[in-house]
Amino acid sequence: MLKAFSTAATGMAGQQMMVDVIANNLANINTTGFKRSQINFQDLLYVKLSQAGAEVASGITSPTGLEIGSGVRASATVKVFTVGELDNTGRPLDMAISGDGFLQVTMPNGDIRYSRDGALQSNANGQLVTATGYAIEPAITIPTDAAAVDIGKDGTVNITDASGTQSVVGTLQLVRFPNPTGLSNEGDNLYAQTEASGTAVTGTPGENGFGFIQSGMLEKSNVQMVTELVNLITAQRAYEINARAIRAGDDMLQTATTIGR
Amino acid sequence: MTEAATQITSSIDTLTRELEIITHNLANASTTGFKRRCNAFSKALDAQQGDAETYSPGTIDLNSAFDFSQGNLTQTGRTLDLAIMGKGFFVVETPAGPLYTRNGAFQTNANGQVVDSMGRTVAGESGPITVPASVGLSGLIVSAEGQISAGEISIGKIKIADFGDDQSKLVPAGDSCFVMPDKDIRPAEPENAVVKQGYQESSNVKIVDELVDMVMVTRLYEANMRYVSVQREASSSITSVAMG
Repeated sequence: MLKAFSTAATGMAGQQMMVDVIANNLANINTTGFKRSQINFQDLLYVKLSQAGAEVASGITSPTGLEIGSGVRASATVKVFTVGELDNTGRPLDMAISGDGFLQVTMPNGDIRYSRDGALQSNANGQLVTATGYAIEPAITIPTDAAAVDIGKDGTVNITDASGTQSVVGTLQLVRFPNPTGLSNEGDNLYAQTEASGTAVTGTPGENGFGFIQSGMLEKSNVQMVTELVNLITAQRAYEINARAIRAGDDMLQTATTIGR
Repeated sequence: MTEAATQITSSIDTLTRELEIITHNLANASTTGFKRRCNAFSKALDAQQGDAETYSPGTIDLNSAFDFSQGNLTQTGRTLDLAIMGKGFFVVETPAGPLYTRNGAFQTNANGQVVDSMGRTVAGESGPITVPASVGLSGLIVSAEGQISAGEISIGKIKIADFGDDQSKLVPAGDSCFVMPDKDIRPAEPENAVVKQGYQESSNVKIVDELVDMVMVTRLYEANMRYVSVQREASSSITSVAMG
């Protein structure tokens, strides 16, 4: 049977996967701290029909080989960790990381997860938690008598009590990975460390290349609607063309079968 | 008549292979750094347009070579997405020797080494390039020469291999890479390659051209098949006359 059928099918499958990735990016266009994914394709192995440099006659070598490719496959989806736009909310417990770094979040079972979603809350005990209610690591508790809370650029959490006295109740720490694209996506704006991401490096905001903390701001998703829509159109057209190639192959086979009649 | 039959068979084989080449190009319309395979029609067209240096009209054959022309650059904004403007290849180290690629969608591995999306080490001018733990990935700056730095810290220089006119001897190895089968050909320093940070080089497949070629292949195939049926009718009438 024609090899062209399976080759075009890999093309269609690849484009379909691209549409899936774009759809997820677009669905999260308003998700705080969301990082868009980008899909990378690679060509598949080639079938060598003749080798370049092979001797075709005495003393004459063929200048180019003849290899027929077998299509495409998706090699990786890469999270693009560029900083999204910062949106001013004015809420004192909202914070954004302008630059590299993740907040550490303790899950109920004690595991550590990582997030860039800085819409923090204080729970019933005054402890700083994420919007979902998971505790921030290192644990920071805001006393119940605090009149105002302020998060500094370096991550220090300052409170002002009723009498106007200021005190530091804790410091937010950030972590970074040798390969952030290797983090596994856990949903809920959370990432988990993997073999591929490397071990977390802890640091203070604003030092050693870590980003600053911007309080009263939230980091918007870094999805650009226009880019995604352009990619969507490209993917859709490429899908169509690959389907067209299957039809062309089918037409050829049909011609072949009709000559027998 | 047997000679005609042989010619038709060979022509039909060629057309089938032609379709396979076109389909492979189309399947890779979104593959970063992909270089399209030329096919007989586009070669004939190039020859007509006076590009005689590459393909002289007399030597049009199906020994398809690659079209190494520049693909469009697409902006991604990732610090480790690199694209080469001009001639040259990034070098990827494998146990079996170096591979050459135009796909510069790089990342770092768990040890901070710059690798490609398959995890293979990207070669630097002086060995693998490791991003120190004290440097954030978003702070990386890649110069037009491929020099990677972060602020004051110099991290390494990406190796770019230029094969000049010998690049037509490269053989595809899959996974966006090429391999140089002739060990005597050593890559030279790039002459006019410019590294663009935050960009990926799109596939240089032109969908419309491939579509036109595809229509031509289907029609030629039909015509060849038509000839076969005419021959069949002719031979059957001859035999019926002879048999009375």
